[in-house]
Amino acid sequence: MSPSNGGGAGFEYNQELGGRAIPRSRDGSRSPGWDDPVDLDKDPAAVPDPALIDVPPELRREFEEIIGRYPERHSAALPVLAAAQRHHGWCSPQAILQAASVMRVTPGYLTSVATFYDMFELAPSGRHQVYVCTNISCSLRGADELYAALEAAVDGDPDINVRHFECLGACDIAPMVSVDQVYYGPLQTSDAERLVADLRAEREPLPELALALRPNADAALEEDEAAK
Amino acid sequence: MSSLLLMRDIDEPGLADIAVYERRGGYKSLRKALAMTSDAVLAELDASGLRGRGGAGFPAGRKASFLPKGDMDKYLVCNADESEPGTFKDRELMQKSPHMLIEGIVIAAHAAGVNHAFIYIRGEYEEQAKILDLAIAQARANGYIGERILGSGVSLSLVLHRGAGAYICGEETGLLDSLEGKRGNPRLKPPFPAIEGLYGGPTLINNVETLATMPHIIEMGGAKYAKLGVSGSSGTKVVSVSGHVTRPGNYEIDLGIPSREIIYDLAGGPPAGRQVKLWFPGGSSAPVLTAEDLDVPYDFDSLAKAGSMLGSGAIIVVDDSTPVLDVALKLAKFYRHESCGKCTPCREGTNWTVRMLERIDGGEATPMDLDIMASVQDHIIGNCLCVLGDAMAMPIGSMIVKFRDEFEAHLQSRQLAGAI
Amino acid sequence: MPRPHQNLITFSVDGREVQAPENMMLADAAKLGDVEIPVFCYEPKLGHPVGACRMCLVEIEGIPKLQTACSTAVKDGMVVHTQSERARVAQQAVVEFLLINHPLDCPVCDKGGECPLQDITFGWGGGKSRFIEPKRHFRKPLELSPLIAIDRERCILCYRCVRYSQEVAEDYQLVLLERGENTFVGTFDGHPYVAPFSGNIIELCPVGALTSRPYRFRARPWDIEGSGSLCTLCPAQCNVTFTVRDDRVLRVLARDHHEVDDGWLCDKGRFAYQAVHVDERITAPMIRDGGELRTVSWERALAEATSGLRRAGAKTAALAGGGATNEEGLLLGRLLRDVLGSPHLDSRSGGAVSLADWRALSDPALAATVSDLEFANAVLVLDCEPVDDAPILELRIRKGVRRNGVALLLASARPSALDPSATETLRFAPGRGAELAWALAAALQDGAVDAPAAAAGASAEEVRKLARALREAGEEIVILYGEQLLDGDAGGLLALADALGIAEIEGAGLIGIPEAANGRGLREAGVLPNGGPGFSAPPLGDGLDAAAIAAKLGDGELSALYLLGVDPLRSFPDAGAWEQALEHATTVIAHAAFLTPGVREHATVIFPAESSAEKEGTVTHPDGRVQRLRPAIGHPGDVRAEWRTLSELARLLGGAAGPATAAGVSAELFASVGLYNGLELEELAGHGVRWPARAPAVARSGEAAAKPKLRRAAQAKGGRLLLGSYRSIWAGPEVEASPALRFLAPRQRVELSPRDAAKLGVLHGEEVLVSDDQGELRATVVLRDSTPSGTAFLERDLARDGANRLRGPLVEVRTAPSGNGDVETLLGEEELTHA
Repeated sequence: MSPSNGGGAGFEYNQELGGRAIPRSRDGSRSPGWDDPVDLDKDPAAVPDPALIDVPPELRREFEEIIGRYPERHSAALPVLAAAQRHHGWCSPQAILQAASVMRVTPGYLTSVATFYDMFELAPSGRHQVYVCTNISCSLRGADELYAALEAAVDGDPDINVRHFECLGACDIAPMVSVDQVYYGPLQTSDAERLVADLRAEREPLPELALALRPNADAALEEDEAAK
Repeated sequence: MSSLLLMRDIDEPGLADIAVYERRGGYKSLRKALAMTSDAVLAELDASGLRGRGGAGFPAGRKASFLPKGDMDKYLVCNADESEPGTFKDRELMQKSPHMLIEGIVIAAHAAGVNHAFIYIRGEYEEQAKILDLAIAQARANGYIGERILGSGVSLSLVLHRGAGAYICGEETGLLDSLEGKRGNPRLKPPFPAIEGLYGGPTLINNVETLATMPHIIEMGGAKYAKLGVSGSSGTKVVSVSGHVTRPGNYEIDLGIPSREIIYDLAGGPPAGRQVKLWFPGGSSAPVLTAEDLDVPYDFDSLAKAGSMLGSGAIIVVDDSTPVLDVALKLAKFYRHESCGKCTPCREGTNWTVRMLERIDGGEATPMDLDIMASVQDHIIGNCLCVLGDAMAMPIGSMIVKFRDEFEAHLQSRQLAGAI
Repeated sequence: MPRPHQNLITFSVDGREVQAPENMMLADAAKLGDVEIPVFCYEPKLGHPVGACRMCLVEIEGIPKLQTACSTAVKDGMVVHTQSERARVAQQAVVEFLLINHPLDCPVCDKGGECPLQDITFGWGGGKSRFIEPKRHFRKPLELSPLIAIDRERCILCYRCVRYSQEVAEDYQLVLLERGENTFVGTFDGHPYVAPFSGNIIELCPVGALTSRPYRFRARPWDIEGSGSLCTLCPAQCNVTFTVRDDRVLRVLARDHHEVDDGWLCDKGRFAYQAVHVDERITAPMIRDGGELRTVSWERALAEATSGLRRAGAKTAALAGGGATNEEGLLLGRLLRDVLGSPHLDSRSGGAVSLADWRALSDPALAATVSDLEFANAVLVLDCEPVDDAPILELRIRKGVRRNGVALLLASARPSALDPSATETLRFAPGRGAELAWALAAALQDGAVDAPAAAAGASAEEVRKLARALREAGEEIVILYGEQLLDGDAGGLLALADALGIAEIEGAGLIGIPEAANGRGLREAGVLPNGGPGFSAPPLGDGLDAAAIAAKLGDGELSALYLLGVDPLRSFPDAGAWEQALEHATTVIAHAAFLTPGVREHATVIFPAESSAEKEGTVTHPDGRVQRLRPAIGHPGDVRAEWRTLSELARLLGGAAGPATAAGVSAELFASVGLYNGLELEELAGHGVRWPARAPAVARSGEAAAKPKLRRAAQAKGGRLLLGSYRSIWAGPEVEASPALRFLAPRQRVELSPRDAAKLGVLHGEEVLVSDDQGELRATVVLRDSTPSGTAFLERDLARDGANRLRGPLVEVRTAPSGNGDVETLLGEEELTHA
């Protein structure tokens, strides 16, 4: 498709703002796109024709298995996107096209769904996902400092994606983190360096702080009882 | 002190395994329920007085009775999208006793005449999802779910569905949209899910704890369960206590005990030398209470009378080391981030509130801004499509009322600092 | 499917007692009492209310919380206050919230003066804002497509546009991205929102966030006038309002007609108005002089035409098409039959259908209305592609399926855009719709299916399955068929209608989509080789049909051709035959707006054609609705009313002087066409009149016993593929001439199944040559998973390389030698310039 050479007024941008990127909101949440026009050289994004999209066979099987669980195929959107993200590392346009092709929906539909949920990465995001709960109960116990320490320890390493996250439902081990979907806590600010070092060394991070390994989540109570 | 039902065996090693669960008496209630008619099961649930443990506190038996009779496709959805800040009870129940939940689901499905069930678990609960997946497979293998369960006429499919990180999916209609593979936008009500829910079919939606309580109700009988707790708030409740307490954790209590007992005796109170400044009795969406309210009995009606709510049963304690402004800003940002954006007052009101709080934080505000902020909260409350807007406006509004002096002192000190 | 029954109830709003249909939404019901409740997100055309904007909060006695009027059904005795203190506070609060992030750049906003947000802020807002934080700013405006600009600062997230894309057009391209206050309207990965009906979002937008690129900054609301008429670019004949400034059309808006368009327009109808005012439009008479066309006076052109026609006399033939009106059709018939003594005129490219069958097909008992598509038990789409053939009907079908659970059954040669919505789909060989109809009729009557199914190139089992679905769907069945099905034989279709008992069932019926925009009207006005006005017996006996006209011109038995709004070289099958015909014709008179190839190369006299914005007269919708065209602007340049030219020629050739006004010709039309007897021009104003609703049903006599005429479908063999063709929604000189739409003008593409492509060794996107013994054309390969193996589909009605260059039925596809794949000029060789 070529840009129309007639018709509407030209697209001069707001003079004052020029082409500068404008921060959207102060907490720096992740949505790009507000300032993006479409690319008129692209074709419209209809439901991808299966004849034109290659889907890795094992991924196709996984998609189809997921779709098969539900009475209506659209219900598979979230788990299919999660599978595509696991395979591709993020919800890349290619990942979304593959999912859309098997689900028989438009890639727009899946993009709309993916951008609604915090766990889908719409940009390349590194191999390790570290979610730091910074909501109220964790922040009362030092989560903001922990987050800052982790940011500093990661120091821009693109392999490790540290994100602050809303309440992860583990205020009993506050402050806590979810590392590649496994919960650890409570952490000291001083644990940050070790956590990052473990991840870089491909070791299980902070194994003694894993929630799953705690017989009772309420460690303090346990100690208390032990003391009696 | 408290009766232990849900937490009785919670630390039994290997309870997540069906063999251990059965050895501890698991799935007996299901056998008992399957021998009863669905109306009889419904009657027991009704008699128990059990109120929903997710947040709204609606009587669970009545909710199940709203589903129309008939052989259309009906659905049960277990709301395991536990996302209310301060709440982590469902996580522990699912992680340690998944079969108790499954048993409850099958009982509820039988009561409501449902044949398709889903557990919608928040995406962040990956470890719990894996445990549930295993448990569901075990339950299926042992004939507790599937076709003609234990030889009865009851059949039920159960699918675990994982969310992907959106607080609003804990709202039941947002959850349904999300389960249908859409953005988790709440729906307009009516129609209510009991009439037109998942895939347009009648749908019963219950919280994890609510469902996990049902085997115990069937086991002991609704009337006996109703004697636990206090009138209007029968039974036990798992309370998540967090924040400035020395022993954060889940505690099962009989409803109606003084809140002070939970915060101090069970959770150990604030660290030495500090005082309770404010506390949320039912998750971050509940209007805040202060130290003066510590003797309010912990039950639905008493907390409502005190101007707050039991909500999800999550107590967040904030002591005097933390400025109220920090709490307000933290929460407002959370609700702004989680607002789905569908309706105007919530989308714009949460944003506006954050912007005002930031300005107050920066010292660029006057007491008039506090009035405007209070008025904005008033304009949100009751005018939104779902309760998320109210969930911010009510606690923030309560903080402005109860801690106005502190806000004003903050403004003054910032202005003084600026003047120097 | 029973249509909703309406019970009247009485409720009170702001102290007024109002009668309204029970369960009507309060926002609509209040209007019946002249009370306006402000709304942004509410738009009944988009389906169920969503209650998102919260603008319509009102107080209802007995309900503690304020309620959204858009989603509250009125009940008897309800007492509503829209202006109570509580309601007013809430309404002001919502306006204040909405304006937080709205830029208030009204002075430079294209929506200014016709903006619901302005109106509601004025009417229901508090008049001041307490928001003193800096507003957000973004780059603006941005392109959403070549046709639409988006200004995200102005968006109030009512999400009408995305609901439209998802629930009306169902293209699901325009979506909400992100969440909460970060939410914005966008598309997948920066793809443009290009779809057949995308422009409707401009009209839906209640603020200046979505604007028409061609219209931006062309006028202010106080500069313009609206003029109601019709779009005659396709048979759907949508009702439109032309926005006119200084005698120029600047915009086209929908003029909601529930029985025609439901308030939507396709992008062709919305944007092709630009072709009215382009330089390449013919605006003066021309004659061919020494092989070259040149502009002449009307006197000279008329004289030239008169002498040509006089020489040819009865050896003249005529074709009519495009947007030619009923009146023009009537006058053309008179010119040919009464003045020149020739019976040879046609308005169709397919084989003639017997007059008895035409009469049977127009039996009011078999007629369905457009809204029947929405409420039927089942709709059978037979041998047509609604989005290409009558676009707006596709939206109606989708609405019926989505909202009313209409069962959609599809039988077509080419995969359809509606396939995903259909409960049954069946594929047959291109051009064998008639045979398929016979097969279905046989299956419904448990007759022999194998022979007709084989002739149709369909599986007998699938035919039986489709018949079963038809039988089980319920009684009310609407068949939407394409006129290509009536290629010489309507028997199968009539047999099918009989087998379903359609004539006896209210709400069941047929709708045929003709190939020309006013195909039905022209037929009824007597532009048929074998039928006079109103399907009367032709006074001179049967004439030749289009294909025979081509043949006889080619071999010299006919010598003149009169073309009213149609260029057969471009749009009729067998371009080779027409090339011969036009080559040999001594006189070719064309009413044309553009120099399409047949006109450019062969016309001896050209009369400039009117655009639909200039035309006066009537046209007939496929469901029998006679609708009125009213001129919105004067004739540009030297253009004259075409009916007047036809009248004038008749007079110059010694015929009777006809009426002196357009209204006079319409009166003659209503008098001469039996079906239209009794119609009055005045009553057509606004909504038109469906003549079948007034006419008595005709009892059909024993003709149903007709024997099937079966033509055996060819089969792919020896690496050659069966040729199928279709005419895209974007085909047509108006698209090529409109600067804004030109990017959509189709270039030839050949659709292949992946299997055939692999066998032929061609790839998606590759340039190939498609050929048969008749000719050869260039095309780009498009792979579609759903294309039946063994078939290749090409586009018709293109500026060049149209499918009519080939005759089929088998074609060869091979890689094109590299080289000249240049972008060609679409309309002609001339440089295209535009206003």
